[in-house]
Amino acid sequence: MIELIRVSKRFGAETAVDDISLRVEKGELCVLVGTSGCGKSTTLRMINRLIEHSDGEIHLDGQPVRTFREETLRRRIGYAIQSTGLFPHWTVARNIGLVPRLLEWPVTRIQARVEELMNLLGLPQEEFADKYPSQLSGGQAQRVGVARALAADPEILLMDEPFGALDPITRETLQEELRALQARLHKTIVFVTHDMDEALRLADRLVVMHQGRIVQQGRPIDLLRAPADAFVESLLGGEDRGLKEAALLPVSERMRPLRASQGHAQERIAQHASLREALSVMLWRHAERLIVIDEDDRPVGELSLRRLVRARDDE
Amino acid sequence: MARVTGRPNIVLLSLMLAALLAWWGLPSVSVAPNRIVSGSAYLAPEVAGVGLAALACLPMVAVMGLAWRPSRTRLAMALALVVLMLTALPLWLSLAALRLIDPTSPGARMGIGPGPWVLLFVLLLALIELRTRLGLSRRLGWGLLAVPLGSLGVCLMRWLSPLALWQEYQGRREAFESALGEHLLLVGVAVGVSLVIGVLVALAMRRWPAAQRAGFGVLNFLQTIPSIALFGLLLAPLAWLSSEVAWLAALGVSGIGWAPALLALVGYSLLPMVRNTYVALEGVDPTVIDAARGMGMSHGQVFRQVRLPLALPVILEGIRITTVQAIGLTAVAALIGAGGLGTFIFQGLGQAAMDLVLLGALPILFMALGVDAVLGALGERLRPGGTP
Ligand SMILES: Nc1ncnc2c1ncn2[C@@H]1O[C@H](COP(=O)(O)OP(=O)(O)OP(=O)(O)O)[C@@H](O)[C@H]1O
Ligand SMILES: [Mg+2]
Repeated sequence: MIELIRVSKRFGAETAVDDISLRVEKGELCVLVGTSGCGKSTTLRMINRLIEHSDGEIHLDGQPVRTFREETLRRRIGYAIQSTGLFPHWTVARNIGLVPRLLEWPVTRIQARVEELMNLLGLPQEEFADKYPSQLSGGQAQRVGVARALAADPEILLMDEPFGALDPITRETLQEELRALQARLHKTIVFVTHDMDEALRLADRLVVMHQGRIVQQGRPIDLLRAPADAFVESLLGGEDRGLKEAALLPVSERMRPLRASQGHAQERIAQHASLREALSVMLWRHAERLIVIDEDDRPVGELSLRRLVRARDDE
Repeated sequence: MARVTGRPNIVLLSLMLAALLAWWGLPSVSVAPNRIVSGSAYLAPEVAGVGLAALACLPMVAVMGLAWRPSRTRLAMALALVVLMLTALPLWLSLAALRLIDPTSPGARMGIGPGPWVLLFVLLLALIELRTRLGLSRRLGWGLLAVPLGSLGVCLMRWLSPLALWQEYQGRREAFESALGEHLLLVGVAVGVSLVIGVLVALAMRRWPAAQRAGFGVLNFLQTIPSIALFGLLLAPLAWLSSEVAWLAALGVSGIGWAPALLALVGYSLLPMVRNTYVALEGVDPTVIDAARGMGMSHGQVFRQVRLPLALPVILEGIRITTVQAIGLTAVAALIGAGGLGTFIFQGLGQAAMDLVLLGALPILFMALGVDAVLGALGERLRPGGTP
C-alpha cells in the first residue's frame, strides 16, 4: 500500500507538485493522467525517492519512505520507464537479473528467475537471452524493461509511460499483457500515461492531475459519468465520452434474455465484448439487434440498439 | 560480399594509373659517390632497361584489367598481385643497388627516389580498398603485409647495404635504439601522467560545475601556445628550480632536457584527455543512469558498472588522439635536448642529409599509425553491445 499525505515538491520557485494526497491499495492499479508538465513523473519519482519531496509524507505499508535507505527502498520497488533505460552494454539476461544481483541472490536462483520472467513475458530464452538491447525491437525492449522491473518480485511497481514510444498495435498488446499479468500477480502499481484510452483500459483507480494538483480521482467509469470540472471533461474526450464509457462496459450489462419469438437477428456478439464493439458491429452490419453468445457460442441473450443507447428506461 | 559488383572499380583503376605514372615519370633511385655530394637520379628504365621496366608494369595493367569488371575471384587475384608488387618493391631496389653501385667504392650510397615511395603509398591504398571490398578482417589485411615485410628484411640483410637510409641506421645503431627508447618513454610517461591527471580533473569538473569553465579555459589556453614557445617558456623557471632545489637537480631536472619536454607534453595532452573523458562521462544516456538509480544501484555501482563502461570507448578515443599527438610533439622536444627520434630529424636538417631526416621521421610515422590502428580497433571492440 502506498500513501501520499499532503505531498508537495518545489524546484526552486516553481511548484511541480502541490499538496496532493493519494492512497493506492495493495493490488490496485492506479493510473496518473494529465497534460504534459503537470507533475505525474515527479509524483511517481518521489515514491522511490529519485526525487525527494519538499513537504508532506509518503508511506509504504505505513512506514515513511525516508526511514529506508535509498537503495534498499528502490530494490523493493520495480521501476520501468518509457525509454526502457536498459543497459546497452549488458545482455538481455543480465539486464533482467540486475536487481536480484544487487540483492545478492545466489547465481542459480537468479538464473532460474530470469528464465521464469522471460517465459512470462514471451521472450524465448534461446532467442533473446544473449542479445543486446540494440538488437531488440521497441516492443521487445519494453518487455525486457518490464521483466527487469519485476525481477526481484517487488510488491510495488512504478511505471512511467512504459508503452509511450510504441506503435498503437504493440502498445495495445502490451496493455493486454499487463492486465493479464496483474490479474495473476496482484502488484500495487502506479502507472503514468497521457494516453486517456490507455488510462481507461488499465486503471482500477484513475487520478487526473492538473498543474501539480489532483483534480479528481476514482473509478474510470465514475469519472466518465461525473467529471468534476470542464478540464477533466475535456481530458476524458468531451463528446467522445460516450464511446469511452461504452468501451468500459460489457455487453452482458445491457443484454436481456433471449425470447424465442425474436430469432430473426442474425449478427452475433460475445457477451464479454464491450458495448462499444457491439455498437460498431451494429453500424457496420446495419443491424439494430444482436444475438449475444457465451464462450461456447451458445446464444444467451439479445441486445437491441434501443437498449444499448438508453440503458435504463427501455421497457 | 554484396559490395562486389560488375561495374568498374574506379578506385583501383585510378590507383593503378597513378602507379604507372609514378613508375615511368618519377626517379626510382638516386646514387651518390659519398654522403656529402648530392646524388644523380635514375628513372626506372635507366635502372634496368626498358624491357624489364615494361615487364614490371604488367601486374599494374593486370590489376586494371581485373578491376574493369570485378568479381570476387578477380578481386582476390588483384589482391594477390598487389601483395606481389609490394613484395617485389625491395627486390627492385636491390636490383638497382647491384647495378648502379660500384662495389669498390665503399662510400657510395643509394637513396630511394620519389617513385618507389609513391608506389608504396598507392599499393597500400589498393590493399586497403581490396581488403574492404572482399570483406576481409583487418587482421588478415595486416597479415598479408608480412610477405612484403619479410622480403624487405631479406633484401636489407643481403643486397641493400648501399641504401643511404640503411647506412645512416648502421652508422647510428646504438644512438637509434636509445633515441627510440627515449621517444617511447617520453610519450608513455606523458600519456600516462596526463591520463591520471586528466581523469581526476574531469571527475572534479563533474563534481564542481564551477571548476568546469575555468578548467577548460586554462587547458584551451595551454593548447594555443606554440610548442617551441612553451618549451622556451619553461626553460627559465625550471632552470631556476633546479638551481634552488638540490634533489630536483640530482634527478636531472633542468631548463633543458627531459623535464621541460615532459611538462610541455603533459600540458598539451591534458586538453584532449580531459575533454574526451569529461564528454564521455557526461554523454552517457541520462535515462540509463536514471534507470540504474531507480533499480537501486548505489552511486559507486552506477559509476563503475554503468557510466564508466559506457564512457570507455570515448575515453579511449581521447587516449588515442593524445598519444598520436604526443608522438609527434616529442619530435619537437629534441630541440631542447630531450632526446628521442627528433634528434635525427634536426641533425639531418642541419647537415642537409635527407636520409638521416627519414631515419627519424619514418619510425615516428609508423609509431603514430600503429598506435592509431591498435587503439582504434580496441575502442571499436569496447563499443556497447559488442561487435554488431
Ligand atoms: N529536476 C527538475 N528541476 C526543475 N524542474 C523540474 C525538474 N523535474 C521536473 N521539473 C518541472 O516540474 C514540472 C512537472 O514535471 P514532470 O516531469 O513531473 O511532468 P510530467 O507530468 O511527467 O510531464 P510529461 O507528461 O511531459 O512527462 C515541470 O514543469 C518540470 O519543468
Ligand atoms: Mg513525465
